[in-house]
Amino acid sequence: MDFALFANLAFNGLIEGAVIALPAVALTLVFGVMGFPNASTGDVMTAGAYAAQTGQIAMAGSIVAGVIVGSVASALLALVFYLCVFRFFQGRPSMYALVASIGLAFATRSTLTFFLGYDQRVFPIPLTRAFSFGPLRIVPSDLYILATSVGAIVLVFLLLYVTPLGRRMRAVADNPDLARSCGISSHRVLSAMWLIAGAVTGLGGILFGIKTVITPLMGWEALLPAFAAMILGGIGNPAGAIAGALTIGIAQELSTPFVGFTYKIGVGFAIMVLALVLRPSGLFNLSARVR
Amino acid sequence: MTAYLIAMAIVALIYMLLTIGLNLQYGYTGLANFGHVGSFAIGAYITALITTNGGFAYVSLPASVLGAALVAWPVALLSKRLRTDYFAIATLAASETLRLAIIEEDWITNGVHGITSIPNMSVALGLDVDPNILILTLLIAANLLAVALITRMVKSPFGRTIEAIRDDEDAVRALGKEPATFKVKVFVIGAGLAGLAGAFYAHYFSYISPEQFLPLITFYVWMAMILGGTGSILGAVAGSLVLVLFLEGSRFVRDILPGVTEVEMASVRLFVVGMALVLLTLLRPQGLMGDFRKR
Amino acid sequence: MVGTPFTRRSVLLSAGATAIAGTLGLPSIAWSQSDRFIVGALNPVSGAGSPYGPAMQASIVMAADEINAAGGAAGRMIEVIGEDTQSAPDAAVTAAKKLIEVNKVDAILGTWSSGVSLAVMPLALAAGIPQAVTSGAPQISELDDKDLIWRFNASNVLFGTAFAKAAAAFGFERPATMAFNNASGIGNSEGFTEAWTADGGEVVAEVVYEPNRASYRSELQRVMSANPDVIVAGSYLPDTTILLREWYQLGGTNKWIIPGWAFGPQLVEALGPDVLEGVIVVDSISNESAASYDHYAKMFAENAGPNLTRSVYSTIAYDMMITFGLAIEAAGPGASIAEINAKIREVASPGGTEVFTFAEGKEALKNGDINYQGASSRLDFDEFGDAKPDFAAAVIRNGELVRSEVITL
Repeated sequence: MDFALFANLAFNGLIEGAVIALPAVALTLVFGVMGFPNASTGDVMTAGAYAAQTGQIAMAGSIVAGVIVGSVASALLALVFYLCVFRFFQGRPSMYALVASIGLAFATRSTLTFFLGYDQRVFPIPLTRAFSFGPLRIVPSDLYILATSVGAIVLVFLLLYVTPLGRRMRAVADNPDLARSCGISSHRVLSAMWLIAGAVTGLGGILFGIKTVITPLMGWEALLPAFAAMILGGIGNPAGAIAGALTIGIAQELSTPFVGFTYKIGVGFAIMVLALVLRPSGLFNLSARVR
Repeated sequence: MTAYLIAMAIVALIYMLLTIGLNLQYGYTGLANFGHVGSFAIGAYITALITTNGGFAYVSLPASVLGAALVAWPVALLSKRLRTDYFAIATLAASETLRLAIIEEDWITNGVHGITSIPNMSVALGLDVDPNILILTLLIAANLLAVALITRMVKSPFGRTIEAIRDDEDAVRALGKEPATFKVKVFVIGAGLAGLAGAFYAHYFSYISPEQFLPLITFYVWMAMILGGTGSILGAVAGSLVLVLFLEGSRFVRDILPGVTEVEMASVRLFVVGMALVLLTLLRPQGLMGDFRKR
Repeated sequence: MVGTPFTRRSVLLSAGATAIAGTLGLPSIAWSQSDRFIVGALNPVSGAGSPYGPAMQASIVMAADEINAAGGAAGRMIEVIGEDTQSAPDAAVTAAKKLIEVNKVDAILGTWSSGVSLAVMPLALAAGIPQAVTSGAPQISELDDKDLIWRFNASNVLFGTAFAKAAAAFGFERPATMAFNNASGIGNSEGFTEAWTADGGEVVAEVVYEPNRASYRSELQRVMSANPDVIVAGSYLPDTTILLREWYQLGGTNKWIIPGWAFGPQLVEALGPDVLEGVIVVDSISNESAASYDHYAKMFAENAGPNLTRSVYSTIAYDMMITFGLAIEAAGPGASIAEINAKIREVASPGGTEVFTFAEGKEALKNGDINYQGASSRLDFDEFGDAKPDFAAAVIRNGELVRSEVITL
């Protein structure tokens, strides 16, 4: 129960949170604009990880090439899902879109296992040893993961808040009818939004795969923590989703000396439910953004 | 073959009880419960614990219903504050947390090792008849009762109120009725039905463990409800039959399709389930039996 | 799994015929029950067991092909009907119902994980057909009141004891345990702790971890802070990969003892030889000469497709089919299922001529008793129908297993 222990636990939680933050951002983008929790996000993560690993091996082991291949592949997959399925659910009860997204999750995963089998895969990346930084033990690859996650999120923020595309996107999210009357093609804006969400999701899958191993179920299993992070942060609020992911990640690890390694998962859920009850619009939402 | 068909009927009837419960919650009242499997697990564990310790099913069946309803009550209170999609994820998290508790509190649940040798229906009731026929009969009776109960409820003023809550909560409030109390009642009744389903499940399978109560069960029940049509009691019946036909039928598809291995078939089966969910919600959201005008 | 080249055409065609005949309620005229033996290969093709299940099912089919190529067993051809347990007890039960009631199988082979085996067992016992399992839970022996359940792997208790003996043989004094949170992982760790403390030892830390986490650093730090000289893992392949990688990154200096099923070519590929150097792998072993193992390994390499990987479990699944084939042969033409079941212990127990393949066994049975020496272990079944194998501790050197200690319990 010393400071070093808790510092390390918090750091572990920070890294886990940084990985979950990416799918949480994608979830919250989609939820904010389309109005439903997209359960296919997890399996798009998995698809991105498989694509990146295949890409990396095809490109002579370059992880950068792998990351690009994986992100592009998952961005396209998300766009296809939008064009073929999700756009038809606008204006209908959100539960139908949720159930359809569960269906797409199953379809994605089964397609992967049909062609690639069930064996685990890994990114061929040389292993590095941890160095000490004060009381912390820091693994260099975790820093790369953190940096990539932060970089991706900054990019999303620039897209959303600096570019004209982002302005149009937020306009559509706030009021689709008004946006249309202002001459904004909601179809093109939404397509762009899905591409961004897909790329971010895929990148999350790649980081998860680098940190663990690539298996067909990896993304599906990461879905519930990402949902929790999104809700904690307030739906439609990317900054909140990140804060939510980091809060849950750090709280889970810090709770382990007290509740053990099984209930820590429950701690994440408990924080989420508590936050919902106390602030139904999300912990990090300054103004309620209920659509 | 007859014995196999009976087995499938039993599985379908267990899903039917679950689907009827969920349909009451979501189909009639709009409560998006994604933690249905939690109530199912509580029913199963209560029955398993009572009957493996010498208790009879005369005690365990009502105890499972009441226990599931009781545990659902605090979760139901959340529906007062949360809108549909938040509530969906909160209930999903609640069922997963419950599963963690079943794993961790092994002094009562035997943890990951599960509970073995749960007596079958005949033993549990002290009757000298074929256990499979007995459980089949009881399940049919339970489903008929559930259908009758919900049909009555829906036709009553209570039923008109809950459907009004689903369609426009604010309007109900404006009429001076508090939606929350109705929601809590409906949620708890639906959970009780799931608890009953869990009790039958424990008797029939004779072995339960935490890994049998994953969210996948909840998704299957949602699938059955949407297949049949939300807000339709006949739809819940038809949907659960089609679901089991679907899950089991794929086994026979492989037997008559030479050249497909079981390994490939596992992928094909999940793909077909997934695409069915997508196409149904996309093309026939009213379900097989549903009345689309109601949504 | 596209274009997997092992021969299964005959198997599937006849399986199809059975299913159609069964569905229509017609007697299958072309086949009489006594000239074939139908095996239900009920394996974890998808779900948590999917790293192992596909190769298990393929191995059962390979063994059946081997038996059929040798002219069948007691004049019977083996038919294999594959089913998927989805690694879930409820799906396994409906699959088993279908195998028993519709396909009329004579035996169920290869149920993996204790949850699945325990759920399927009541069905096999009620139908009076043998079931061969690869699951660790001790309850399996206790609940088998008809001597129909055959456990081809070592139980959790045995495995835990073998872990303890291996730890003692290597001179470790401060072991810690890490267990995957399921019946098998916890069973192995508890078995180890029981055996270790019975000999007066102390376990310095015990951690149970959840599957599918993004990282196990906190769990590892908890264990490593107790300063163990060895960590005994009750783990599977994917989580072992993550544990060992993070442990190496954190600069761990202790040793590891891992179970055989957590080791495989994928582990070496994932981590490289440096990380794995000195890791101790404890596994049940075959007879020293291991001719059956070489035979199986060669057959697998030739017949399995690129997407299948051999494992301890696939080796066990292969042994199940060969053992049953020999029991059918020993029971003679027209034997009932009960008579065949009664021969299982006999064909694999000490006393007879040691044989290593089905063809050898079939030949030797003409001259008296045999003792099949399996590819996975020597398969001597005790009074509970549990295989009681010898164990070996091997040390990983340069990515290869180098056997160093044989542990006899």
